Amino acid sequence: MSRPPAWLTVLAVLAVGTVSIPLVYLAVRASGVPASELTAIFGRPLVRELVLNTIGLSIAVSATAIAMGTLIATIVTRLRIGAARTWLLISALPLAVPSYLASYGWLVILPGLNGFWPSWALLSAVTIPYVTLPVAAVLRGTSAEGEAVARTLGLGPAQAFWRVTWPQVRPAAIAGGLLVFLYTLSDFGLVAMLRFQTLTWGVQQAYAASFDRSQAAVLALLLVVIAVIVVAAERGARGSLTRTTATHSTKEPLSVGPRIVFTAVVALPPVVGVLIPLIGLGGRLAEATTLRALNPEGLLQATTTTIGVSVAAAVVALLLALPLAALAARYTNKWVPTLEGAGYLSNGLPGIVVGLSLVFFSLSVIPALYQTVVVLVFAYAVLFMPKALGTARASIEGVSIDLVNVARTLGASRFQAWRRVTVPLALPGIGIGALLVAITTMKELPATLLLRPLGSSTLATELWSRTAAGEFGAAAPYAAVLVVVAAIPAMILSGVRSVAKEEM
Amino acid sequence: MTTLTINNISLSYGSRQALRDVSLVVPSGSLVAILGPSGCGKTSLLMALAGLVPIDSGTVTVGTRELSSAKVRVPPEQRGIGWVPQETSLFPHLSVGDNIGFSLPKGRRRTERVEELASLIGLTGFTDRAPGQLSGGQAQRVALARALAPAPDVLLLDEPFGALDSVLRHSLGRDVARILREKETTAIMVTHDREEALDLADLVVVMENGRIAQVGTPLEVYESPATPWVASFVGDTVELEGIWKDDALNCQQCGAKDFCGPAENRLGCTGHVICALGDVAATAQGSEPKNGDTVRVVVRPEWLVPSPSGIAAQVKGVSYAGHDALVEFDLTGHPERVRARIAAPFLPSVGQDFHLALRHPALVFPVEETEGALA
Repeated sequence: MSRPPAWLTVLAVLAVGTVSIPLVYLAVRASGVPASELTAIFGRPLVRELVLNTIGLSIAVSATAIAMGTLIATIVTRLRIGAARTWLLISALPLAVPSYLASYGWLVILPGLNGFWPSWALLSAVTIPYVTLPVAAVLRGTSAEGEAVARTLGLGPAQAFWRVTWPQVRPAAIAGGLLVFLYTLSDFGLVAMLRFQTLTWGVQQAYAASFDRSQAAVLALLLVVIAVIVVAAERGARGSLTRTTATHSTKEPLSVGPRIVFTAVVALPPVVGVLIPLIGLGGRLAEATTLRALNPEGLLQATTTTIGVSVAAAVVALLLALPLAALAARYTNKWVPTLEGAGYLSNGLPGIVVGLSLVFFSLSVIPALYQTVVVLVFAYAVLFMPKALGTARASIEGVSIDLVNVARTLGASRFQAWRRVTVPLALPGIGIGALLVAITTMKELPATLLLRPLGSSTLATELWSRTAAGEFGAAAPYAAVLVVVAAIPAMILSGVRSVAKEEM
Repeated sequence: MTTLTINNISLSYGSRQALRDVSLVVPSGSLVAILGPSGCGKTSLLMALAGLVPIDSGTVTVGTRELSSAKVRVPPEQRGIGWVPQETSLFPHLSVGDNIGFSLPKGRRRTERVEELASLIGLTGFTDRAPGQLSGGQAQRVALARALAPAPDVLLLDEPFGALDSVLRHSLGRDVARILREKETTAIMVTHDREEALDLADLVVVMENGRIAQVGTPLEVYESPATPWVASFVGDTVELEGIWKDDALNCQQCGAKDFCGPAENRLGCTGHVICALGDVAATAQGSEPKNGDTVRVVVRPEWLVPSPSGIAAQVKGVSYAGHDALVEFDLTGHPERVRARIAAPFLPSVGQDFHLALRHPALVFPVEETEGALA
């Protein structure tokens, strides 16, 4: 590790500065709200209810996800339920489905669903994989022998799990729980469709009502504050990760009864979060009225817009992420970790917060860009740059520095070594990162609602507005295309990536 | 001329000093092994020579060209120094042929040169394969050919056989040494395997804590180590206490007289010591003890050989290794024990009476130096 070249540092600082615009501007905007108005906003019963609803739902969903995710990961990795790899892939599927699509599918079947409990159940089903996958990875990396030893020392199965295995998986489970908390905090589409009023809904309402933009700004900042507090608390609760080398141990065979029960537990989230919504969607799609009402031009236009902005967002996010990734992967000094950390800042930022902040920013700084595709793409790039950053950094780091050094001793300059060795080896990983950004962008809803240019729409916004108006049939084609262009690629991608990790 | 001259270089990472005042001359065309425990600075030295890390002071010169100093660092691609790293480091996205030809401009000349190098390493017909299809030994050969392709002035090999099993390691080591000698390449090979260093190199450099502890031919380093630490690092030792006498023994009185080689192989006896092995010829290493001083006596287990006229001993234990064994002896009338390497046909059994003689001058070090080395 040597000193980073100046030009790389400058580019990385520029990238971090760019992605920090929304957060900084929001803070500036909210700090301009007079104290008297602030007291008035917090004095409103509705605001208090929004805060309590948001925190209550987030805690309930993350607790459920931690419990269920750990249980499912344990079943898949430690018990002999058959086809363990397949079940692990299936249990990852809900990740690919945007939350509002799941709620849409359920609403088609049960139009009366609303309130806390359906929101809790559906959000849990969709987010459990955030805990299942990292915990399963730790469990596969740690030996099951510890538990066996604990059993020979006189502990029962539950006690052995609690005292030996849980301490090892706790950091991964809690880190996953944090993601779930942030996901629930940021979620807009699902809770709004199920008419459970949380802060994101409050922001959207305050903004849409347009007479009270200060309230929108304050509520958005409140979301950020909650996210920051939770992230900080998680750092304390997580503890550090210890790894032992894995040894293969024989799994105990299960008798038929428990095997059915355990398989049902593993299957529950994908059934609730993926299968039933898809059945609802498919059923509505096949109805004659739906087909008669189909508007192919509108559908085509929404599809091309969605794909166009998503590809643009992926390119911009990658451009922002690359200098930072190269810097973090190859160099170290006292500033590099800080810069990299700042690059991940927007990771936990709710889409609606970024959307709102960029509305304010574009209106007051560059009004010409307000409600143009430029601001929309920029919002996506800010929101999803961390995804590109993570994969790009890992891909560059995956190219051994020895290879680069060998290339140098063979006569390649720093730039030639980069072009002939690092780029060809890191490109597949970086490409997957960019693809991930594109797919995630296609599913984005709240920022898109605030920032989309007048008259244009994406698949997500069409699905949303038609569902909000109760036109489930008209929404179905958009939902179906969204599944085809975003959800299915996401499923394939997550399968490819987990298989690639296995083989490494 | 591609003589590599390292003059007083020092290198530190933050507050940790990796190299301290290292000086070394590697004669053109020779193979030098750098031997040392992990963390002694071996790899840092290679990285500094390749220009991959900057040095704090000193100079590195090849022929008359200065490559590194505190102010100047010629970039790695312009130094004419090749590098074969520790782990197999073939470019995974390139075929064997493209790996070998990485440094060569594209064209017919390149194809010819690649074929020539492939046959040099005994892998003709492998050039279209992917690196993943090679065994560990084949991959290291390719890494060597790739480094040789631009005809470097100096080649650096960082534990090139570290990841291989011991049988492959020996045959590949000899092959590589032969190839380097054929090409008259000046080469530095880092290793922590003492047998590899002693077997393959023209010169052995022993490093300890970022410093050079000794430079010499394999014979010099093994038979005449500069410090007790070097003695125990390059081979097994037996340590005893003794009294130094600065008059050399008359060869007729010497216990080793029956075994002592012709004059040119003798390393010289500058005096003798009185110790548990009797009155034995000895050389003082790096110090000049005074007559009657208490000194540390170091001998190698294979210098002790069975001899009916030798001193009486009793077998206490045998640690068997097939071709020979390390046999532990109680010396009659002395509290100290010694270990001798006895060839298999002469192996005694435990409890048996035995007679031993020293066939080589004992090495003598000051007592405090031993303690210093241990601390």
